[in-house]
Amino acid sequence: MTCHGGVKAEGGLSFLFENDVYKETKSGHTPIIRGNAAASELHKRITSDDADVVMPAEGPRLSENEIDLLTDWIDQGAEWGVHWAYQQLNEAEVVNAKLPEWATNGIDYYVLDKLKSLDLQPTKEADKETILRRVSFDLTGLPPSLTDQEIFLNDNSDSAFEDLVDRLLASAHFGERWAAVWLDLARYADSRGYQKDLLRPHIWRYRDWVIHAFNQDMPFDQFTIEQLAGDLLDNPTDDQLLATAFHRNTMTNDEGGTDDEEFRIAAVMDRLHTTFEIWQATTIACVQCHSHPYDPIMHKEYYGLYAFFNNTADEDLYSDAPVQNLLSPIDRKQLTALSFKKDSMHLVGDTINQEFKILLANMEKFQPAPVQIMQELQDTLRRESHVFERGNWLVKGELVEPQIPSFLPAFKTSYEANRLGLAKWLVEDENPLTARVMVNRFWEQIFGKGIVETTEDFGTQGSAPSHPELLDWLAIQFKDDFAWSVKTLIKTIVMSSTYRQSSEVSAALVEKDPYNRYLARGPRFRLTAEQIRDQALAVSGLLNEKAYGKSVMPHQPEGVWNVIRHAATWKQDTTGDQYRRGLYTFWRRVSPYPSMQTFDAPTREFCVSRRINTNTPLQALVTLNDPVFVEAASALGKDVLSNGGHSFDSRIDYMYRKALCKKPSENSLEALNTFHEQINKEAKLNNKSIDENEQDIWMNMASVVMNLDEFIMKN
Amino acid sequence: MNIIEELQRKRTQQMTRRYVLKRSGLALGALAMGAMGCSDNQLAQLPMTNHDAAKLAVAKAKQVIFLHMAGAPSQLELFDYKPLLHKLDGKPCPDSLLEGKRFAFIEGVPEMLGPQFSFGQYGQSGSWVSEMLPNFSSVVDDVLFLKAVKTDEFNHAPAQLFMHTGSARIGRPGIGSWVTYGLGSENENLPGFVVLVSGNSIPSGGKSLWGSGFLPSKYQGVELRSKGDPILYINNPETISRDIRRHAIDAINEINQESYDEIGDPEILSRMSQYELAFKMQMTVPEATDVSKEPDYIHDMYGTNPGETSFANNCLLARRLAERGVRFIQLYHRGWDSHGSNNFENLHGGFKERCQEIDKPMTALITDLKQRGMLEETLVVWGGEFGRTPMQENRQGNRNPFKGRDHHGDAFTMWMTGGGVKTGITYGETDEIGYYGVDGQIHIHDLQATILHQLGINHEQLTYPFQGREFRLTDVHGHVVHDILV
Repeated sequence: MTCHGGVKAEGGLSFLFENDVYKETKSGHTPIIRGNAAASELHKRITSDDADVVMPAEGPRLSENEIDLLTDWIDQGAEWGVHWAYQQLNEAEVVNAKLPEWATNGIDYYVLDKLKSLDLQPTKEADKETILRRVSFDLTGLPPSLTDQEIFLNDNSDSAFEDLVDRLLASAHFGERWAAVWLDLARYADSRGYQKDLLRPHIWRYRDWVIHAFNQDMPFDQFTIEQLAGDLLDNPTDDQLLATAFHRNTMTNDEGGTDDEEFRIAAVMDRLHTTFEIWQATTIACVQCHSHPYDPIMHKEYYGLYAFFNNTADEDLYSDAPVQNLLSPIDRKQLTALSFKKDSMHLVGDTINQEFKILLANMEKFQPAPVQIMQELQDTLRRESHVFERGNWLVKGELVEPQIPSFLPAFKTSYEANRLGLAKWLVEDENPLTARVMVNRFWEQIFGKGIVETTEDFGTQGSAPSHPELLDWLAIQFKDDFAWSVKTLIKTIVMSSTYRQSSEVSAALVEKDPYNRYLARGPRFRLTAEQIRDQALAVSGLLNEKAYGKSVMPHQPEGVWNVIRHAATWKQDTTGDQYRRGLYTFWRRVSPYPSMQTFDAPTREFCVSRRINTNTPLQALVTLNDPVFVEAASALGKDVLSNGGHSFDSRIDYMYRKALCKKPSENSLEALNTFHEQINKEAKLNNKSIDENEQDIWMNMASVVMNLDEFIMKN
Repeated sequence: MNIIEELQRKRTQQMTRRYVLKRSGLALGALAMGAMGCSDNQLAQLPMTNHDAAKLAVAKAKQVIFLHMAGAPSQLELFDYKPLLHKLDGKPCPDSLLEGKRFAFIEGVPEMLGPQFSFGQYGQSGSWVSEMLPNFSSVVDDVLFLKAVKTDEFNHAPAQLFMHTGSARIGRPGIGSWVTYGLGSENENLPGFVVLVSGNSIPSGGKSLWGSGFLPSKYQGVELRSKGDPILYINNPETISRDIRRHAIDAINEINQESYDEIGDPEILSRMSQYELAFKMQMTVPEATDVSKEPDYIHDMYGTNPGETSFANNCLLARRLAERGVRFIQLYHRGWDSHGSNNFENLHGGFKERCQEIDKPMTALITDLKQRGMLEETLVVWGGEFGRTPMQENRQGNRNPFKGRDHHGDAFTMWMTGGGVKTGITYGETDEIGYYGVDGQIHIHDLQATILHQLGINHEQLTYPFQGREFRLTDVHGHVVHDILV
């Protein structure tokens, strides 16, 4: 493909497009003659003994096996295959009738099938403590509280686990956990990006829309349409307009001397790349300049997609227009409730004057504010879309109309030739990619690796699915049986026996399946940047569990925001908002929150499908020394002193329950006891009071527990 | 059989085999060193890039010190002497220079502006340097001047991004990230890519200039701060002594070892080494960054005052980091945007002050590296993100109140020394008014290709897959400029 693809078609030959290989090339030969390998140039080239003729031109000869395969394929008619991802979903077998004993649902049927073929066995079920902590993080992004532990660990009924899952799905924290994933895709930030990186102080209302949508279990097709084209629906509601802020998360350039049209086009292209990466796992940024080197997308087809997005009213202006005064969905609900109350108070008369004033003051708090939204240009102002020669926006080529690349499902004539039509096309029955791509994304969050590892690329350069039938079965379930319900999809995944396995692994299994592609064990991987922060606050009792609302500013070292001339200031919240979940932290593109960036959070300039987990000493420095984590360790230490009893063992026991949802092992107790003696010795040398010393000591003890591998990892 | 599926299967098999090889190396305890000196089995899972294929047989330089003058100093007031501009001073700019050009601020017909300072020729090489850099003029024979460097961008943020990431848009890895990704670090106890900032704030391009883009975040540049902790969170809280920290890490790793014995996940071993390395960094970073221990003659030479945020301190710090094997040391000194719209942007105001701030320390850096025998293996690069116009800027058609010039990307001067580049010569030439290069033009991608080449990296081979294609620092461009290499 490097030599005979969409960029280089050496000798005039490209293997990307079906039409190209069955006709004469520049040399006058025909690469493939269906049913006749001997007469096909391709066959001559791969079998030739002449060094100047044989292909591949570089690298080793094809093996006998490979040559036979190609020969047979041509002789059998050289049927042009369709890449797996673009094929229609395979109607799954009815698996429920023949579930093997170990299996809970269809997932396990396919996983077990694969394991058998590899001569592997599933691992035993994880213990209740482990599974409780695991599923709590997966569904809410938070560790289980002592109460959660008490309820589940003492529930011995058959439905205990399912009841737990249902409780977690109903929690408001569910939406927070999954919004954090979506916001990376939506490249959500509280600032505009580029040189000045001016703030977008009101766009958090869109973030709340996402949380709310997950909590309401908004069907994913509706979730798609409202974000891509809410403004084009008939009589759109305020929430539907708010949803379109999704594509206003593109950057706006306010640097003096820059050309607004250049950056308007950059934003339009970003919308196109983002849409196709999120819903179709199709990477098309390269087609801006030339036909796709590896996938069958023509240069012109890229601009056909561009044309769907090219008629919105935004123009990279300083005003960031168009904007509309909007409330977040939750604020509007609260305001409605208050005004209902206000109306009812009128009836009673003057006696409740004071209460009435308070009510009015409360209503004042919910003011709509200008949010960047999508708006289509009026017909008279519509822009023409052209191909840009070699991607250069100053060199306009052929005129193009909205058009879907030919390798994807056809665009129905009944669809509007705009963003709304495109959104409908994405979630229609005939589009096999959206459901596949989305179930794969949810799967990846839970198992650490997608069924297709390259969640962002289902094209020929992406990886092949480890369990193709499972992927299709889940996709069909999601789209048809669950009617795009995300909660039902996630519930199905976590209810499986596959999910509930222990993550313990033998050396032999590590050798056979180092990255757990085949799921002969449970998932085990590092918590996300947000989860690491949230967990520290939660187990220490500092967490402010309030959901929704404006972005907040927790502790950040001085000087971090001293980035540019027009710098806004980081003003640390002091009234409790500093302890809110990481997802609410003010997200500035040129200067992201340092501790989260250290744990691989992206800067949100562009859509990011996968955070690549890294492992650096700077991460240890965050969890050991960042004042946020020191304060959390201190709070947990105090909690232990107040509520953990008086003996060393009971205190460690209490701390382990709170932090790790488990009992300490003998060995851990011993290691902590040694450490305790060491600090105790040093503490005696200073002049502090006994109480102060105790607090220091237990802050240190807590810090050790909060830096353990099992604390940083989802087990 | 579907041919594409079959090919895909083969590719996957191949990849899997390599993964296993890498993995078994890890199981033996050979924890591979990355840029941050840390083991990382995740790395083995990253999209495949064959670093070895990108490595050249010979590496002339081991490390780079890049002195970036953010805001773009005027080459016409420092190195590119154009006597003709004296004659043209105050005359309207001919149409031929304006047709089809896009400027950041110039509108209508501006006036030409003569050199604002006097020039002389120095050293055996007879290199031209203006009176603004009296110290630097003494070391010109150790320097290679590039007079016709060319960039595609003429606004600060995009041009800085272009210089440091090879692309004008935010989101690509910085050159230091590419280099540490390709070569790893020489010193596991210090970050491989360090950033030092002076001037009133960080450059326009923001922290994206040293971000790791789509490369794993371990390759991002680590900013050494001059106030507070030199690296964020490097210091223990006040109540925790180094002894206690040692004991704490012992306890953490003892319990982690037990987890490993039980669970068997090799990631736990990585975490254990991560904590050991953090502990070592806590020792080495404060020592490496403490310039106060340097002898007086060194402070005199650089003009340093310990505790200050200054370009001078950063030059000295750069030498100390280079001594300790830091791979890529990036300095930013901001405040060169001499438009003439206010005194800070006046060639006779802010510009002059910036020159005084850099002249002595950058000269000392060259001398110091040379005296220590480090210059041969250390490539030093100096330059702004673009140059400035031969015209006096006229914002919105009116001449600016102070002497100043607009942004200009077609030709500007950079200099290099050490790391296997020829010295005592000037490469490239501009026309009589310094507007376009007429000989020896070097595009930014060529410069980047050449820097990588000196480090022993083939710029076309060092790639990373993202958004469906292999990306590299030089995109699809760049040629190594062999004429300037020893």
